[in-house]
Amino acid sequence: MMNFRHTTIGAALLVLALYGGLIVSLSWFLEWPTLRETLTSARTLFSVRLSLFGATVAASLAILLAVPAAYGLSRYRFRSRELVDTILEFPIIVSPAALGAILLIFFNNPLGEWVQAHAVRFVFTFAGIVLAQFVTILGIAVRLLKTSFDEVPVELETVARTLGATPRHAFYTVTLPLARRGLLAAFILSWAKALGEFGATIMVAGTMAMRTETLPIAIYLRLATADIEGTVALILVLVATGLAALALSRWLLGRAAHA
Amino acid sequence: MLELESISVAAGDFRLSDISLTIAEGECHAVLGPSGSGKSTLLNAVLGVLPPQSGRIHLHGEDITSRPIERRGLGYMPQQIGLFPHLSVRDNLLYSPRARGVPPAQYKLLLDMLIEATGIGELLGRFPRTLSGGERQRVGLVRALASQPRLVLLDEPFASLNESLRRELWWLVRELQRRQKLTVLLVTHNLIEAYLLAGRISVLMGGRIRQTGDKTSVYRRPAARSIARFLGVNNLWDGIVTARDGDRLTVECPAVGISAQLPAGNKPPALQARVTVGILAEHVALRDAAHPPKSDEHILTGRINLIDLGPRWVLQFHPASSEIILEIHLGRRVVEHFGLTDGRTEVTVGLPNGALFWMQND
Repeated sequence: MMNFRHTTIGAALLVLALYGGLIVSLSWFLEWPTLRETLTSARTLFSVRLSLFGATVAASLAILLAVPAAYGLSRYRFRSRELVDTILEFPIIVSPAALGAILLIFFNNPLGEWVQAHAVRFVFTFAGIVLAQFVTILGIAVRLLKTSFDEVPVELETVARTLGATPRHAFYTVTLPLARRGLLAAFILSWAKALGEFGATIMVAGTMAMRTETLPIAIYLRLATADIEGTVALILVLVATGLAALALSRWLLGRAAHA
Repeated sequence: MLELESISVAAGDFRLSDISLTIAEGECHAVLGPSGSGKSTLLNAVLGVLPPQSGRIHLHGEDITSRPIERRGLGYMPQQIGLFPHLSVRDNLLYSPRARGVPPAQYKLLLDMLIEATGIGELLGRFPRTLSGGERQRVGLVRALASQPRLVLLDEPFASLNESLRRELWWLVRELQRRQKLTVLLVTHNLIEAYLLAGRISVLMGGRIRQTGDKTSVYRRPAARSIARFLGVNNLWDGIVTARDGDRLTVECPAVGISAQLPAGNKPPALQARVTVGILAEHVALRDAAHPPKSDEHILTGRINLIDLGPRWVLQFHPASSEIILEIHLGRRVVEHFGLTDGRTEVTVGLPNGALFWMQND
C-alpha cells in the first residue's frame, strides 16, 4: 500500500505528466518546414510583438493601480472594504468571454460611445486589447500584492514613522522594498496571464490580421481553418514565450529573495 | 513629562478605560500587566496608532492627542525590535536623519556616543539577519535613542532573549536612561524588568490602571487581591473585619487562625466586611530556640517542603492547625543555618503583625 509521502509525490508528478504530456503530444503534428515558415512569417512576428507589447502595457498599468489599491486594502479599514475585496475575484468567476462582452456592451451605451468618440477608441484597436487584458488581470494583481503587503509587518512602518518618516516615505523606503518579491511575482504572473488572454480580447478587439491578432487569437484562427501544423507552430511559440517568462520570474524572485 | 488624561481607547472588542498617568521628565515608568491587560493598546494610543475615543495626551506640555506619529518626538522599540531587514545596520541608524531631512552630522555626536556605549561599532556594515538577538536589541536601542526622542516607548523589548543577555541589556538600558535622563514608558509583564528599570509602576489589568505608585509601595501594599496575585504574592487569606478602633482594624483570618491588628488606611472597610489579608513570602520568619518569637508575631507550627530555586529557597509551610500552605522565601545561608531538610516535621514560623496587610477583595 502506498504511503502518504508516495501518494503526494505521485500526485505532483501526475501534474507534470499531464501538462508535459500535452506539450509533447504536439510533436505528432510538428513539421519543421511549417514551423520555420510560421516562425519567420511577418504575420506571426507581428502577433508575437503585439502580444508581448500588449501584455507588458496591460500588466504595467494593472500594477500601477494595484499597488496603491492593495496597500489600502491591506492596511486600512474603510466602508465597502469587504465589497472591494470580494469583487477582486470577479474576473475569475465571470468567464473572460463574458468580461469582454460586458466591455463591448459598455462601449455601446451613451457613456461608452462618448469615451470612444472623445477619449480613446477601444473597440477593434490595440487599446482594446490592452483594456481587455487589463480588466482580466487587475483583480489577480491586487490580490497577489495585497498578500505581499500583508506579509510586511505593520510594526516596521510604525517604527519608521517614530523615526520621522511620513506614511508615504515609510511606504517607499520600508514597505515597498520589503514587498519587492511579491511585486515582481504579481507583475510576472499578471503579464503571463495577459499574454495568454483570449476570450475578452477577441470580444473587444476582434480578429483583424496585422492589427489585433494576438498570439492566442492567431492560434484560434489557424485552428478554425484546420491548419493543424500551423496551429502547433504558434502554440509552441506561445509555450516557449510563457516558459521563458516563468523561468525569468523564478530567477528574478530568487535574486530578490537573496538581495 | 507625559500626561495621559482619562484616555479611553477601543481596539476591536477590547477597551482601555479612563487611563490617567503622569510620567515625570527623566523618569522610567513601567506599566505592568498580564497578557491581554491592554499594555500594547495603551502603547499604541501614546504612539498615535490608535486614536483615543476620549481624553487627551500631553507631552512636555503640548497636546499630541491628534498629532501624526512622526511629529510626536517618540523613540519606539517594539518586542520584535523592528530593524529594517533590507537595510544595513548603518542605514538603519541613519534612517531617522534621512527621513527628517536632517544632515547626519547633527546626529553624529550622540550616535557615536551611543555606538560606543552599546559596543555595536563592529556591526555597522552588517545586515539585521546576520545579527544575534542581543546585537539586534542593541542596534534597535541606539536607533531609537539617536533621534533624541522626547519620550522612549519600550514594548517588552527583551522578551525574546535568554536570561543572562536580558539582564545585561537591562543594566545597559538603566545606565543609558539615567545618563541621558530619558523619559521612558516601559510596558512589560516581567516583574524583574519593571522593578530593575523603573522608579514608578502602574499595574494594568482588564483595561484599567488598578494601582500606580512608587515601585516599593506597590509591591509591599498591593491595593487588591488580583494585583497581589499578579505581583507574585501567594500568602493571601480571606479575612473578616471584626473591630475598628480609630485607625486600627481587627481582622480575623479563620483559615490561618490569627487575629491581625492592621492600620485602617485611607478607605477603611466596614465592620464585618470581607477583605483579604496577606504577607510577603520574604517577611515570614523562621523561629527556633536561638531565634525566639517576637512579641508582635503570630506563631504557627507545621512541616515544610523545600524547593531549591538556585539563588534562593522556597519553603512550602503546612501549618498543623489549618489547611493553608504558606510560602516562605529564604536565602541559602538561612536554610543552611537552620539545618532545614525536606519534610522536617516540626518548624515554627512567625508572621510579624507589622508585615501583614489587608486589601479589598475583587
